[in-house]
Amino acid sequence: MIDWIYPLMLVGAGLIVISVFTSLVAFRFGAPLLLVFLAIGLLSGSDGLGIQYSDFHSAYLVGSLALAVILFDSGFGTSLKSFRQAAAPAIVLATVGVVMTTLILAAAARLVLGVSWAEALLMGAIVSSTDAAAVFFLLRVGGITIRDKVRSTLEVESGSNDPMAIFLTIIFVELIVKGVGVAGMTGEFVVGFGTQMGLGIVLGLVGGWAIVQVINRVELEGALYPIIVLGMAVCLFALTGALGGSGALAAYVAGLLAGNTRVRARSTLTRFQDGMTWLAQIVMFLILGLLANPSDFPLVAVPAIALAFVLIFVARPLAVWLCLLPFRYQRDEIAFVSWVGLRGAVSILLAILPLMAGLPTGGLLFNTAFVIVLTSLLIQGWTIRPMAQWLDLIVPKRIGPVQRVGLELPGNAHHELIVYHVVPGSPVAEGERLPRWARPSLIVRDGQSMRYQYAGRIKAGDYIYMFIAPRYTRLLDRLFASPAKVEADDKDFFGEFRILPDRPLEALREAYGMDIAPNVAPERSIAEFMRERLGGTAEVGDRVAVGAVELIVRDVDIEGEISDIGLSIDQEVARARVPVFVTGRELTATLRERLAALRQRRARKKNAQMPTGSDDGAAAGDQPAAETGNNSETKTG
Amino acid sequence: MELADILSQESVIPCAKVASKRQLLQLLAEKASARVGVDAQVIFDTLLSREQLGSTGLGNGIAIPHGKIKGLSGVTAVFARLAEPIDFDAVDDQPVDLVVMLLAPEGSGADHLKALSKVARLLRSEGILDRLRATKDEAKLREILTTPLETIHAA
Repeated sequence: MIDWIYPLMLVGAGLIVISVFTSLVAFRFGAPLLLVFLAIGLLSGSDGLGIQYSDFHSAYLVGSLALAVILFDSGFGTSLKSFRQAAAPAIVLATVGVVMTTLILAAAARLVLGVSWAEALLMGAIVSSTDAAAVFFLLRVGGITIRDKVRSTLEVESGSNDPMAIFLTIIFVELIVKGVGVAGMTGEFVVGFGTQMGLGIVLGLVGGWAIVQVINRVELEGALYPIIVLGMAVCLFALTGALGGSGALAAYVAGLLAGNTRVRARSTLTRFQDGMTWLAQIVMFLILGLLANPSDFPLVAVPAIALAFVLIFVARPLAVWLCLLPFRYQRDEIAFVSWVGLRGAVSILLAILPLMAGLPTGGLLFNTAFVIVLTSLLIQGWTIRPMAQWLDLIVPKRIGPVQRVGLELPGNAHHELIVYHVVPGSPVAEGERLPRWARPSLIVRDGQSMRYQYAGRIKAGDYIYMFIAPRYTRLLDRLFASPAKVEADDKDFFGEFRILPDRPLEALREAYGMDIAPNVAPERSIAEFMRERLGGTAEVGDRVAVGAVELIVRDVDIEGEISDIGLSIDQEVARARVPVFVTGRELTATLRERLAALRQRRARKKNAQMPTGSDDGAAAGDQPAAETGNNSETKTG
Repeated sequence: MELADILSQESVIPCAKVASKRQLLQLLAEKASARVGVDAQVIFDTLLSREQLGSTGLGNGIAIPHGKIKGLSGVTAVFARLAEPIDFDAVDDQPVDLVVMLLAPEGSGADHLKALSKVARLLRSEGILDRLRATKDEAKLREILTTPLETIHAA
């Protein structure tokens, strides 16, 4: 009677085991891991090994559950620092950007798929959000450090744009089911948006607060903390959804709040959630892979791949460019943000909704969405690293790799137990002394432990145990790092000259005569100005353009203050690798130039009519007009 | 604009004997003053105030002191090869022995930066530093500096 249990478990767990093993191979080839999971699901499905699975309802249930876990964790892992730094542009991308992508893609879908406007909009909405799991994974595990500002933007965006895509998809499904026109939905759209997002944020904050209180006040068996946190997160997701809010947003907000508050046993929580997120991703991709029938793909392949190209090369870049225009992003940065528009499980999950609603085009939409996700993972997922390299967005390593383990201490101590493994060639192994505040207490050498005082000189291979305040790890890392290879293009990245951070802005203006925003006090220090421009926090490699030169953060001290600045005056090659994506600054500069030219033309005309007019105006007008050299274009005004 | 246009033969100092950064800037200012007819003190003050913003020592023994001067007719360069390297607070803490000074007229925004980046790029090209250090001949020094980048790469 219960015979069916064992094969089911065997197959289910077996697939998970296989997926994990495949990760070994995937890492070696740099293949996007999620694509591998999806492929395993597809291969084992009805068209491959023949596992029959076509229950949309259970797939959607499992997918939503996994999504709640993933979103809570992605909020939990986002530091408030990067959130603050990128909140404004990322939220614009997550709302306006998603709508724009939907609209552009809808236009293409109507053309390519030949469906009605409502269905075309639905198609656009399904694949309008980027996949948090894919983006996080590729940005963090890739072993590269992308410029902080860009990474934060992408992480916050991908974590927060799913609610919008879910909302749009549900609205459009309802629209088709009810059979009302797009116009009839405007009121509902606005009200729905308000309730969904409002409830999501409010309940997310309340839930996050509740989670923190529970962790910090309730005495539980240690291993139960992660369980209750996860349970509460899923409860919150469900409750918010049941009340008509966006559960996805609530889970993300709660995670963000809980992750940035002092909570007990953080390291245990983080590790457990890392594992759960992995499991959630594997299960979600496997199930979605199983659900699809690859034999249906050839039917939609041509239009779907065409749509994927529109998405990758038109819709996403255009939406990103327009959304980031008001913010200070460079061309290359905009290009990279556009490129990291990976679609993933959420899109496939959303594609189930039309099927569940019984729409006649449900199958078409599902298969198209699936092919779009596959194409995006293949093209973009595989090329993120080379793209970042090409666009010069990778921060050169200042120090080599460090081997350390941190252990949180009970009783809310403000110290951490940190264990460093001394690597050959690191400064401490070369005789550098440890600072007194590091409190080295124990050394393990050749399997023997000894007190630090009696250990004598530190040798390579030693393990050093010490108690320090967590914020000092940055300083210690340098002492324990293996020697870094000095990058040849260091000067390209950090600028030719070095600028003292505490000098006033005025000195910079005197030396180079550049325009600095009029509302900035000239006596302020350059470091302060840069930090403000960077949104309050600076990371090594961040750039601030001032006039025709660029200031680059070379180093940051433990307090987060900029301690070393580079000045790049490179005018030889065009700095931007991509010719498109005119930045907001460039646009205003061109506009101003045009306006000035226009004014001069007018002034000259006036002078021509009245020869007695002041010579002064005409003389002043002549020179710059010749410089801009596009008088004919400005005539129209 | 090529370096050949802004670096005259007389502006090459093949074996400067200076003991400090201050003395070096003084020497460069005097040399430039003689060529362009601007008070040496003005040039010196400009160079010094730029150094206070951060050393113009690029590393590898090179420095490019620079500044904007009122009343200058065009971008001007002076090259000095020092007999003994001096401390210049350079990025890599190495003493400096090859110096290119650049002066630009007030209000010549782009030209100033173009010349600067050109010189910085030139001095980063392969083997040029060794060649500059190997000779004391003024004409040869100028020739090394003014040979266009492409031909250097080809060599």
